[in-house]
Amino acid sequence: MPLDAIPVVIAPSGLRAGELSGNAPPLLREIAEMVRRLLASGETSAIDLQALPLTPADLEWLREQLGEGEIAVTLNADGESSLDETACPGVWWITHHNPMGAVVSAFIEVAFVPEVVKAHPEDVVIGLEHLELLISDLS
Amino acid sequence: MKGPLIETLARHGVTRRTFVKYCATLASMMALPPAAGRAMAEAMAAAPAASKRPSVIWLPFQECTGCTESITRSHSPTLEGLIFDVISLDYQETLMAAAGHQAEEALHAAMAANDGKYLLIVDGSIPLGLDGAYSCIAGKSNLETLKEVAKGAAAIVAMGSCAAYGGLPKANPNPTGAVSVADIIKDKPIINIPGCPPIPAVITGVLAHYLTFGSLPELDKHSRPKAFYGETIHDRCYRRPFYDQGKFAKTFDDEGARKGWCLFELGCKGPVTYNACATVKWNGGVSWPVESGHGCLGCSEPDFWDAGGFYKALSMPADPLKLAAKAAVVGAAAGVAVSFVNRGKKSAAKSAHEKTTLADLEK
Repeated sequence: MPLDAIPVVIAPSGLRAGELSGNAPPLLREIAEMVRRLLASGETSAIDLQALPLTPADLEWLREQLGEGEIAVTLNADGESSLDETACPGVWWITHHNPMGAVVSAFIEVAFVPEVVKAHPEDVVIGLEHLELLISDLS
Repeated sequence: MKGPLIETLARHGVTRRTFVKYCATLASMMALPPAAGRAMAEAMAAAPAASKRPSVIWLPFQECTGCTESITRSHSPTLEGLIFDVISLDYQETLMAAAGHQAEEALHAAMAANDGKYLLIVDGSIPLGLDGAYSCIAGKSNLETLKEVAKGAAAIVAMGSCAAYGGLPKANPNPTGAVSVADIIKDKPIINIPGCPPIPAVITGVLAHYLTFGSLPELDKHSRPKAFYGETIHDRCYRRPFYDQGKFAKTFDDEGARKGWCLFELGCKGPVTYNACATVKWNGGVSWPVESGHGCLGCSEPDFWDAGGFYKALSMPADPLKLAAKAAVVGAAAGVAVSFVNRGKKSAAKSAHEKTTLADLEK
């Protein structure tokens, strides 16, 4: 049977859900408010991008608007996570992937440094113990 | 952030950052604000889980094992799997190595050792017809077993739509006289996790909550955890903007369907269905029914099988924003108001030789 006998046409790529819903622009105001709070009180905050009705095109638009910053952090923990600073310092675009590479959650975090990047004192203690072990092996 | 759980996880090679990431994702799934992820990470890490693993007994009744399939197919090895390591699953017919008398011994040993403290998970409905003869395990009817095991349980989790509502066995004409757990047990806290099957992360999420806080999460009117069943599929659907713009797929192969428009007119039950598929998704977050082009069947709502047809559109509300408030009524009378519209469409389509939708055919 030839393919054209099937009455289904493949949609041009990018057309599916490729429309702007109009839900992204208001987020810029919300992010601005979050940045003001960060400056005023040091309070960090985040937006759960999967909790909002945003199309892939919306996310692309938002990402483009926020631009690319100077720092991109990659976290390798149960799959890769990217924590990218946007062109607006203090505004981070965070995407968590599972080991298969699928996106499991995505956030915009407003903070001087994203929480998960900082080393936890308990882990630093373990690191110090390891260092001391290395030093004791030297002699 | 320190405690037995984080130490258990560390022994499994799970770092603190992995755990923080997991909790952030879990909070997102549970529709909690992002800040709750950190609070959960701290509370869960400190939970006294590792030292005394809570006993869990899982009873299967009139079921298809789909619920067990769901949880065991949660792309292992994952943190969900590890959290399962911190409970003691003392009886689960499908997963346990023991069989026959040994299995029954394990059940009674766990019941005696943890009297009043174990968590009972039930999947499947309970048949009352012919004195329960339709489904028996070890020579006892499901009704007898449930009553006996429920007596010493701290709480009961009714897993899947069959245990929560009666499910498919209860569908008309209900030949076995199937009922839900809550129809029989009245004196224990019962938490319903409906779905056909429920999402694996919802199952582990409820268990995580139980481990974290030692109590069951907040429940809605159908005894479902609000965290996962607090919002409709429709409210969380990525196709929702198309609904708001009035862009609907009319058949499964038209331009609208290819462009990923709203499936409301093809019978999607998203607006009256409370579940987390739109955010948590399936198969490790790969996709979910609406994303693969089919409307929601409403499987986490009572009697979804008899709700009037999977391809019949819900009654069209005058004001879309009031839909949620009308949900219960709409669910009961699904399609009544549109039946006239559909009937009209059917004859109009016939006369004009246009494409007829599945919804038209059902009327």
